[in-house]
Amino acid sequence: MGFNQQLSALVLLMLSCNAMADGRVVDKVYHPYVQPLEREFEYRYLYQWQANHPDNNAMAQQFGYGFSVAGNMAISVNILAERIMPEDYRIAGYEAELRWMLTEQGQYSWDWGLLFELERQKQTDSNEFTTGLLVEKEFEYTSLTVNALLVYEWGNTISAEWESEFRLQYRYRYLPALQPSVEIYSGENYKGAGPGFMGVYKFSPTRQLKWEAAMVFALDNDTIDRTFRFALKYEF
Amino acid sequence: MTLQQALAALALCIPLAVEARQEFVLTLKDHLFNPAQLAVPAGQKIKIRLINLDAAPEEFESFPLNREKVVLGNSEAILYLGPLAAGEYPFFGDYHPDSAKGVLIVIPEAQWQQVQHVN
Repeated sequence: MGFNQQLSALVLLMLSCNAMADGRVVDKVYHPYVQPLEREFEYRYLYQWQANHPDNNAMAQQFGYGFSVAGNMAISVNILAERIMPEDYRIAGYEAELRWMLTEQGQYSWDWGLLFELERQKQTDSNEFTTGLLVEKEFEYTSLTVNALLVYEWGNTISAEWESEFRLQYRYRYLPALQPSVEIYSGENYKGAGPGFMGVYKFSPTRQLKWEAAMVFALDNDTIDRTFRFALKYEF
Repeated sequence: MTLQQALAALALCIPLAVEARQEFVLTLKDHLFNPAQLAVPAGQKIKIRLINLDAAPEEFESFPLNREKVVLGNSEAILYLGPLAAGEYPFFGDYHPDSAKGVLIVIPEAQWQQVQHVN
């Protein structure tokens, strides 16, 4: 199956699935790779807006620390904060995350990894467990990354249920500091797509800063019009 | 389409073929790559066994090859590459970039056959 057919099939699958998820659908698109000796601080920011939408002016932030525990496995812990109105701003919860690189980069036709994430939302007294596949493939100077995730939610204020999320990033590796991309997201009440970019700057042989950002626009009437996401990762 | 159908279709469209690859060896000693110029064939999947003879870890890095791979001290790692187009692909050791430098020279298939025949 050619690249165009594979990409078209993936996009159609994402948009045709009745995917469901109550949380933040737009988030980082995870790559399936882990390096030994990996250590990092990461900050993520998300902002959504549409006049008269219930989530208008919603903002979420995440700050975390992560490190590799083996040559193919990394963990991180994160603090989550969010608000809709400025006076609502609060620490919303905590999250622990494990990434597991299943195959070496280039070993098979696609590179495979797994994600496990456990989130505790203290404000709503609810929990969320996320797991799923992280896959990536190179096509000459471009890379396609897909996250297919299953989410289980439970708690005192919500009904226990399984949900699903899909994230896709197609990136052109133009320069280390500038790699433009297109991102597509699908989840409950959310189908969006838009342009993004990522890049990296090295301060020294062992310290570097990675950045990524995307502007995601609604693809249907259920989706909030505009979502902006931004992330900074300091690796050392 | 249900999630199960979507995942099944996704799995079907992603081949997991394992192919035999020609192996090349690249060593690292005193923060120098040897050979500093490694010739490999174009159009083929290859693997490079990266052997770090130094006590310190090193990170093989190449933006043109889209690879970052940390190899711990006195250990080895495998890089899976290709098929690559003919040309030159610089790489370096991220922890010692001033000394650990090299180039992967990807030779066109016809020319590679001639080189192999002479050798």
